[in-house]
Amino acid sequence: MKKNWLFLSVLFAFMLILAACNGGGGSGSEKGTETDNTEKSGETEKSGESEATNDSLLPMEVTNEGEAIQGGTLRVGLVASSPFQGIFNYELYEDAYDSDILAYMTNSIFDVDGDFLITDKGAAKLEVDTDAKTATVTLQGDYKWSDGTPVTAEDLIYPYEIIGHPDYTGVRYDDDFRNIVGAEEYHNGKADTISGITKVDDKSIKIQFKKVSPAIYYGGDGLWGYAEPKHQLESIPVKDLLASDAVRKNPVTLGAFKLDKVVNGESVQLVANEHYFKGKPKVDKVVIEVVPPTSIGEALRTGKYDLATSYPTTQFDSIKSLENISVLGRPELSYSYIGFKLGKYDTTAKVNVFDEKSKMNNVELRQAIAFATDVEGVAEKFYQGLRVRGNSLIPPVFSFYDETLEGYHYDPEKAKELLDKAGFKDVDGDGIREDKDGKKFSIRLASMAGSETDEAIVEYFRQNWKEVGLDVQLTTGRLIEFNAFYDKVQADDPEIDMFMAAWNTGTNPSPAGLYSVGAEFNFSRYVSPELTKLLAAIDSEDAMDQEKRSKAFREWQEYMSDKAMVVPTFFRTEVIPVNKRVKNYNVDYANLTELQDIELTADAPIK
Amino acid sequence: MWKTIVRRVILMIPQMFVLSLIIFVLAKQMPGDPFTGLITPETDPARIEELRIQAGYYDPWYIQYYHWVINAFQGDFGQSYTYKLAVSTLIGERALNTFWLALLSTILVYLIAIPLGMIAGRKQDTLYDKSITLYSFISYAIPTFVLGLIFLYIFGYRLMWFPTSGTVDVGVEPGTLEYYWNRLYHLILPAMTYAILATTTIIQYLRSEIIDAKTQDYVKTARSKGVPMKIIYRRHIFRNSLLPIAAFLGFTITGLLGGSIFIETIFGFPGMGQLFIHSVTSRDYSVITALVMLYGFLALLGSLLSDIIMSIVDPRIRID
Repeated sequence: MKKNWLFLSVLFAFMLILAACNGGGGSGSEKGTETDNTEKSGETEKSGESEATNDSLLPMEVTNEGEAIQGGTLRVGLVASSPFQGIFNYELYEDAYDSDILAYMTNSIFDVDGDFLITDKGAAKLEVDTDAKTATVTLQGDYKWSDGTPVTAEDLIYPYEIIGHPDYTGVRYDDDFRNIVGAEEYHNGKADTISGITKVDDKSIKIQFKKVSPAIYYGGDGLWGYAEPKHQLESIPVKDLLASDAVRKNPVTLGAFKLDKVVNGESVQLVANEHYFKGKPKVDKVVIEVVPPTSIGEALRTGKYDLATSYPTTQFDSIKSLENISVLGRPELSYSYIGFKLGKYDTTAKVNVFDEKSKMNNVELRQAIAFATDVEGVAEKFYQGLRVRGNSLIPPVFSFYDETLEGYHYDPEKAKELLDKAGFKDVDGDGIREDKDGKKFSIRLASMAGSETDEAIVEYFRQNWKEVGLDVQLTTGRLIEFNAFYDKVQADDPEIDMFMAAWNTGTNPSPAGLYSVGAEFNFSRYVSPELTKLLAAIDSEDAMDQEKRSKAFREWQEYMSDKAMVVPTFFRTEVIPVNKRVKNYNVDYANLTELQDIELTADAPIK
Repeated sequence: MWKTIVRRVILMIPQMFVLSLIIFVLAKQMPGDPFTGLITPETDPARIEELRIQAGYYDPWYIQYYHWVINAFQGDFGQSYTYKLAVSTLIGERALNTFWLALLSTILVYLIAIPLGMIAGRKQDTLYDKSITLYSFISYAIPTFVLGLIFLYIFGYRLMWFPTSGTVDVGVEPGTLEYYWNRLYHLILPAMTYAILATTTIIQYLRSEIIDAKTQDYVKTARSKGVPMKIIYRRHIFRNSLLPIAAFLGFTITGLLGGSIFIETIFGFPGMGQLFIHSVTSRDYSVITALVMLYGFLALLGSLLSDIIMSIVDPRIRID
């Protein structure tokens, strides 16, 4: 009988654990950390506590007091739900996770400022001769690769020869790249080298372009911002590069750390690069491991990592009050928007064709929809202030962002007024407006399936629109899977009148790739001579002058806002959790903490 | 028996052929392609179009299929578009991870299920039996991802007994004893999760077989001869009761090789299940096709294995 009880009590205990976990798995974490960490005092947040009342503004910088230890291992959680690809080469990688890892051993030769403009502080400096349409890239010192070999002008040329190579299968051999004189001939196998790129001396190269625009200062126009170790890669044919150890296991690099070990798709270990031209990093090692998004919050709480490469905003609640973590934030280089279909893309002529008779070609109707959308409400209720209403198609990170632009506040009365004015009136009294001719009017919205909140948000917006008398139905009757969504939007599916999507802008804010006549990604298909003129002004030679460019940007932003063919909805905030043993950390693009300067104040991340 | 085995193997060829045709055509019907995900304002649509042409996406499907079959016969299943690796290398890597996980899981399943099933059958209707049945119900009803997360939370993050993700720590030197121990250490928690969920069927089968066997004539005979119950259970009942479980073995092994998307995702374990889902969402056709072919082959092989195992353990059954 005694045995009997033992067995049962074990079973019972097991069930209790199950029950306990089901109840409080997510939120039961706060109590524990308080007691765990009281003895580890001395951390202060420079810009944290006092501003914490304003939830939407996370600090960009944290400073922790305490003596820095010698060396140490920085532990980084790479938040990903699938393994990383492991292509450690700037010309070849395509995966954002790979680029997160690459950042620690970067081959980047240019430094950029808060506006992502190339500065003189990097390994190389850039001089552009606008009249001659040339750029000269010059190494600013005697630098060495991570294996000790000196960096030469040949290493600056080699990446161009990889991208332009006939066997190159990546996305970077593009329109921009063909702007280099001789790139096409080299790609087609008619020349052995790119004629437009010449070695000036051991430290500098000169590149001849077909045209230069302000984009060149962002690393555009075909200019390439990375060097590659020719002495290592030369012997490997370009078509074999992707599978080679030089790319996957032992890349020779320029950055603060160098690759030491890789477990395919799972984790990497980097060690300090003693040859780093900005000085040997203070931290000895960096370990980067894949963590599923489902458990990153718990991993941070238990001190498994010092940093996370990203953090799911939907789980913001579970870390915002942790004692061992400072939650930093910065604006993302992206915006969400509602676009209206106003034409078609002519695939043979490769131009967007605006259709005056399209259903949504009515500025007041589009503005009314924008006014009727409660973006502010959603930002507050669903995103806890981590998203805010967007007023412009340029995210606030850039100095070209026009903060004075009004955009579209939530104002249903104004929306109704505009609709009345435009002639959309409820003729049959069912609460839904008919069109100008008194016929039934229904708009079809395409929206992407993603997280569980997406559906709720779309339904909320549909209710908003119904309140002002607009009937909005979902294309296909439900949210659309990512691939299918872009297929439909890009093919100008007649079932789509408007669509909700988002763009990552990248670091070059030029909108030409998204809104010009020839841009395939100009999904609204709106074109006008005026728009073309405004876009040209942004990238013109005149605009090499920052002030003029800034003015051109503002004019374009106003025009886009007035015409409302693409209405920005949200700007997003990126959440960056940092363990309190990291001494100083700044995530502001204008003032980033450099890798070699990171210091730790304890042997292991604080729990 | 050999004749049958050979015949079954030969029959697999047309089966695999039909499967390859179906999956090849269906995979291409999915909206989007591997390049859809590459869209950013900085990518050049013309370049993407060029890559599509290079990859042969605009060829008619039968031409694409023809190329695929010819290459497949030479052991070349193409390149993964997302991982930029030969499909065989990629799958090989993942299959190895999954294999070790599957092996440990299978061992654990039998280690847990056989004693529990025997106790339940032997002590029918006692408190033991009832608690084991209760356990079976719970483990049967609980979804994989719930148990996975609970285990990860308790044993990984709260008690910190086990590592929480991956297959091995990056710091240990491959080839050393420490390395193998580290790999095993990473396997325990996911394998445990899988094992607990998979025990139900075996426990219940074993239980009912034993209860059945207790009333059989050979048991009565043995008892009347004065053979102790312990020995009757070990020598007679247990052996006979294991028959239906042996029948599952083939399926169990090949089934586990398919991987479990939930367990792999929760424990950040790069295995086959994750690879499959990822290849579907990123439209990595060559990987999808190769994996479905592999799964199809494993299913056919599993049923053949089960038949062979049955004929070995039960001499009454002969497959001709």
